[in-house]
Parts: sequence; structure tokens; C-alpha cells
Amino acid sequence: MTAQPPGGGQRSLGASLLDDVLAETLDPAYAQAAEARTATDPATAAPRWRGAVLVALTMVVAGVLAAVTYDQAAARVQGRQEIRATLVDDIRAGSDASDELATELEQLRAEVGRARDELLASSATGQRALDELARAEAGAAAVPVSGPGLLVTLANAGSDADDDPVGGATEADVRGRVRDGDLQLVVNALWAAGAEAISINGQRLGPTSAIRFAGEAVLVDFRPVSNPYEISAIGDPETLRSGFLASPEVAALALVEESFGLGFDFGREDDLRLPAASTPELRWARPVPDEPRTPPTDPATGD
Amino acid sequence: MIPILGLVAGVLLGLLVDPTVPLWLQPYLPIAVVAALDAVFGGLRARLDGIFDAKVFVISFVSNVVVAALIVFLGDQLGVGAQLSTAVVVVLGIRIFGNAAAIRRHVFRA
Repeated sequence: MTAQPPGGGQRSLGASLLDDVLAETLDPAYAQAAEARTATDPATAAPRWRGAVLVALTMVVAGVLAAVTYDQAAARVQGRQEIRATLVDDIRAGSDASDELATELEQLRAEVGRARDELLASSATGQRALDELARAEAGAAAVPVSGPGLLVTLANAGSDADDDPVGGATEADVRGRVRDGDLQLVVNALWAAGAEAISINGQRLGPTSAIRFAGEAVLVDFRPVSNPYEISAIGDPETLRSGFLASPEVAALALVEESFGLGFDFGREDDLRLPAASTPELRWARPVPDEPRTPPTDPATGD
Repeated sequence: MIPILGLVAGVLLGLLVDPTVPLWLQPYLPIAVVAALDAVFGGLRARLDGIFDAKVFVISFVSNVVVAALIVFLGDQLGVGAQLSTAVVVVLGIRIFGNAAAIRRHVFRA
């Protein structure tokens, strides 16, 4: 509270308004009514019981108002909670159902594969088709593979000792980061050197896999992979190594590594295990042509 | 005594009957309750001051509730509903506090 201006000077409108609000908490009508009552003759005033009934009725209204408002507020909170709980349940049920369907799909796939193999293995044509299918599956990275190969490691340039990893005051040199292009280079060099299967950080590369850059992260098949990047390639280690070293891209990368301090390393591994690539989406299908499937006519009964 | 009985009866009535409030009226209920609270506290204080008057109480109650709801309604139409509700709640809150303090002085002589 500021001190009153001396000499009854003008007070600001806001201050006098506040004074009014703070001082006059009681309706002045009460005082006026009391004055008027003392002035009039008690005999002519309205009977007391009428006033009591009116007051009681008003209090009833006040009670109903309060109770109804409370009910409304409580119902609203309860409704929100119910909706929330229902939504959470819906999400849970949905993800459970999708998990179940995924497992079922996995099972059915395996079943179909087994049935196909059984059927095809019985005949020579089928055997040929089976071999072809196995080759195609290996090419499409649809089956997990294991064997000896080459492990190439790419890593971002190490941060300086006085870099603050939390504050991030000095931004890491972007030239010292592994980019999608670097990974593409290595992968292409490995394919060229005769790799049979390649994965990046355990993410198998299929024929349609893309290596991209989104913001700060490298995406392989739209799934982020992080530093350090371990590229495993299965194939004959010796040919892989010689082919890999001979490729001009790798020489360029080695130069980049030297100038910017990228981590670049490779060595042979005797037992690499690569998972199957994520199931490719079915995008194109054609119904089996309704060719005249002539039933095997029995020559003895044929007309 | 009778007014308190009336209040209790009203609360019970509201809870038991649970009347449905039309949707357009619902936003003004809380502000109306605050206004009613102000009138009730004012009446209680006037009674303790010895100047209670039934007519003044009833009229102040009704006008308080109606005016408070009307101000908020007007604010809603003008797009300042939230600010005006705050203003109404602040003013009525200050008055309720003042009256509660006066009642306290009467009851506890402190």
C-alpha cells in the first residue's frame, strides 16, 4: 500500500476503485434498510414470517445451485477420465491385435513355405523351381544368412576433449559426421567387390533398401541407424578385401577419413550372422490366368 | 436456523433430483454460485451486525446471480468471457473474504 497523498490530493482511479472494493464488502443497502426501519412505525412493517420464508426459499435456491454446479463439475471430470481410459484401452487392444496378426502372419508364412517346399521337392521341375526360388530369396535378402566376410566400421570424428557434450556450446563439425553418401559408397564398393549380403548395424539391405539422410540421422529402410556404423558383408573375405581396397571410392573415403578424422576401419570376420530384411510390401499382384486347366484325361475313357 | 435448514434442503434436493441443466446455461453456473456465495456471506454478516433485512437479502441474491451471469455472458459474446469471469471472481472473492473476516470478528471477537 502506498502512503496517502498529503492534503487529500487526487487519488488515481485504480487506487480508489480498489479501496471501494476492499472497504465496502457489505452491501450498503443493508444499512439503508436498517435506517429506514428505525424511522418507520414497526406496526406498519411487513410481518416477520414473510421475510423468514423468503430468506429460506432463497437459501434453498442457493443450495440447489451449488449442488447442481458441483454435480456438473464432477460429471465433467469423470467423463474425461472415462474417455481417457477408453482410449488407452483402445490403443492397447489395437496394438495387441496387430502383434497377434504379425505372429500369425509369421506362422502362416512359415507354413506356406513348408507346404511349398514339400510339394515342389517331389518332382524334378519342382526341384528346379525350388532352387530358383532359393536363389531369388537369397538375392532378395528374404532369408537370414551367416558366414565369413568383412566388417567395415565407419564412425563420426571423435569430439575434442574440451567439447561440452551437454551444453552444446561448440557445435560438432558437420564435416566430421558420417553421411548417407559415405555409407552408400562403402556399400556399393562392397557389392562391387562381390558381397553376397550386407547389413548396416544389423539392418539387412534388400534390393529395394534405401540409405538416406533425415535431419541428423541416417535411415536405412526408413529405420534410423546410429553412430558407429558397422557394415557387415558376407562373401569370400579375400576377394572382398582386395576388391574393396581396389575400388577408387574407398581410396577417396580414406582420404576424407584422414582429413576430417572420421573413424574408418575394416577387418575380416569368420562368422557373421545377418538377419532377413524386413518383409517387402506386396505392391503388385496378378491373378493366376484362367488357362484351360485340362484335367488329366484318361486315354482309356476318352471319347 | 431456518435459513441453514433451507440451504441443507436445497443441497439435498439438488443432489437427489439432479435436474438437467440446459447446455447454454452450464458455463454460467460456477460464476452464479460464486455470486450466490457472496450474497449469502453478506447476509450472514448483516445479521451479525444486526442490520439484516430479508428484502435486501433476497434482492441482492437474485441480482448478484443474474448480473454475474450476465456479465460473463456479455463477455462471451464480445470474446472476453474468460477475462470477465476472472474479473467477476476477483471482485466477488475479495468481498467474500472481507465479509468472512467481519464474521470472524463477530464470532471469535478477534
